[in-house]
Amino acid sequence: MNKKLWAHDFKAIPFLLPFFVAYVIFTILPIFKGLEMSLYDWTLVRKLDFVGLANYKEMFIDPHFWRTLWNTTLFVILTTPTMVLLALGLALLANMNTKLQTFFRGSFFLPSILSVAVISFLAIFMLQPYSGLINTVLHTIGIEAEPFWMADKTLAWVSIVVVTLWWTVGFNMVLFLAGLQDIPESLYEASEIDGATRWKQFRHITLPQLMPIGRVVLLLQILGSYKVFAQILLITGGGPGGATRPLIQYIYEVGFTQNNLGYAATMSYALFFILLILSIIQLRNQRMGES
Amino acid sequence: MVKKWFSGFIGLVLLSLVLTACSGGSERSGGESDVEIPEGATEVVMWNLFAGGDAEYMQNIVDAFNESQSEYFVNNIMQENAEYYTKLLTSIGAGKGPDVAIAHTHVLPELVSQGLVQDLDTIGEDVGVKWDEFNQNILDATIYEDKHYAVPMDTHAQIMYINNKLVADADLLNDDGTIKMEKTPEGYVEFYQTLKDILPEDKIPFAFASSGSDPYWTWWTFYSQMGGRGILTEDSLENPKYDLDVDKAIKAASFVNSLYHENEIIPLNISDFYSEFQSENAATMNTGVWATGTWESTEGLEFTPMPIPTIFGENAAWGSSHTFVLPYSQKADEVAQKGAVEFMNFAADHGAMWAEAGHIPAKTTVVESEEYQELPYRSEYAEVANYVNFVDRNIYARGLEEIVVRHLDTIWAGEATPEEAFAAMETEVKDLIGE
Repeated sequence: MNKKLWAHDFKAIPFLLPFFVAYVIFTILPIFKGLEMSLYDWTLVRKLDFVGLANYKEMFIDPHFWRTLWNTTLFVILTTPTMVLLALGLALLANMNTKLQTFFRGSFFLPSILSVAVISFLAIFMLQPYSGLINTVLHTIGIEAEPFWMADKTLAWVSIVVVTLWWTVGFNMVLFLAGLQDIPESLYEASEIDGATRWKQFRHITLPQLMPIGRVVLLLQILGSYKVFAQILLITGGGPGGATRPLIQYIYEVGFTQNNLGYAATMSYALFFILLILSIIQLRNQRMGES
Repeated sequence: MVKKWFSGFIGLVLLSLVLTACSGGSERSGGESDVEIPEGATEVVMWNLFAGGDAEYMQNIVDAFNESQSEYFVNNIMQENAEYYTKLLTSIGAGKGPDVAIAHTHVLPELVSQGLVQDLDTIGEDVGVKWDEFNQNILDATIYEDKHYAVPMDTHAQIMYINNKLVADADLLNDDGTIKMEKTPEGYVEFYQTLKDILPEDKIPFAFASSGSDPYWTWWTFYSQMGGRGILTEDSLENPKYDLDVDKAIKAASFVNSLYHENEIIPLNISDFYSEFQSENAATMNTGVWATGTWESTEGLEFTPMPIPTIFGENAAWGSSHTFVLPYSQKADEVAQKGAVEFMNFAADHGAMWAEAGHIPAKTTVVESEEYQELPYRSEYAEVANYVNFVDRNIYARGLEEIVVRHLDTIWAGEATPEEAFAAMETEVKDLIGE
């Protein structure tokens, strides 16, 4: 190795070390600890017997694992495409050269800074029957129906998806917005000289230029959606009767109320592998797209 | 311009990260606090899971104890209710538990079987705990292999509250303040039908939740009234067998379900049935005795608490009990432990203070005392403590409850028939207990 470079790198070590140590202690070690837990019968209090792959075998025949995994996947399917399109649409809107630009940017992003407890409380306030904002508006305009937004299976899903979109779209919008601002102005100027319409500019300049950031948004969205938990727990509690219960809620219940951390760790590993595979596929696609 | 705008945005993102980070940091962690311990006193750390009014009444008892003597100082630390047991179990397991903790009777088997709590026989004798002064029904729920593992504080059962004015408007109130109801399932429904027919349309005959623990408790009450005893056998803490009386379970669930759907006595999915009762919008409600303290302090609310009527034969009700336990510790401070049990004994003796919240004191002597009898309303439901049917005693109680509630919810939501729900519940419960 080049001696100068080595000396250069060496200087960086003291600066990197604190983070590296924290990273090992709080991220790497728990990963291995989790793997160890999944091979044992492990309660909240202590490690019991080594059970090998028994927890994994159990997982494959556990209908609740599959049901909650499906619920989570359904959430991913419902939120991902809508989220990407919505974030893109809002970014385009927020990037327009109008007087409302700052307003758009601020108002679209604002919900993202709220904590999950706050947005869930707001959601319940708006969605509750009889006195909730939405049903009151429906009654005011003469619709007598009393939809149970959080208690009907289909409506509960609609509610959770809409709330999540409203809450998190701002962050993705910012990513798209950054992408939009990275597109060189000269491309648009050149295309204008060539007589391109707005639509053609969008299709042949904006979209292709946004592809890299679009892939990032897609990947983050899929990973994030698979980890959905808190807003569902707070809004519907996984109900009615487990219809919206996501995998992480099931993992949480098995670990902390059924006192079976070994099996909970096993299911966490299943989720980890699903996310890993999705990430690999996505990164491959990205590389192919770039080459 | 773009750069300036973008850096503003980054600032906002950072701010949001900081805010998110802050939101989780306000909880007080166990053991540490800024309370000053008086000189010469031994600190006794206590964890409790109470919220709202309950927390205040518990603090009053702690203050009274601290003032009553100078040897010990109980440091009462409030923990987040939802995470309480997870935190308690793991802390004791790691040797960092408190000196005294609150536990519900249904969680005791888990604590006992994992060796996380210490029996109180020897230390109780030293301190002078008089076990024969407790209500036997509650005390039995704290004894394992003939050893006392907890000092019970109360029984808190689910009872019925009526709004005197609305029930009187419907001409359903007798002169002595009791309700005009024939104690049969038909009489029960008829009582509510009359309320529904006579009261203005915007008044609710029965304000209640449509999911979660509350309807589970009422189902349990009716199931117990029919003679149903539990969901699992009680012969072993670790290896109970599935023992639900399915016919009775289905009958009780169908009855509760008919109140929502067939008879439309309970409006579906009320978001906050407490506030409906508190704002005099509802003629009746079912909830735990703990609401009494709140209703009392509500101006203008004239109410009567009473046991849920016995309509299926046997006197029975859902109930649980708060108890004090002595967490196990390898390097236990014997002085602090003695102080802990002294405090438990003090709190049990001062059950009338705790009863201000609405709970029924665990000591028969307290229930009979003038101080308690003088509290309004309480004596009207204190008898419930004698026939409460506590949930099954085994190490799976917390997990079992989650499963049962979730399946009952499918019935109330109209997603499953009682037959389907109990069949599905059986599979899942058997899976939980490894049967």
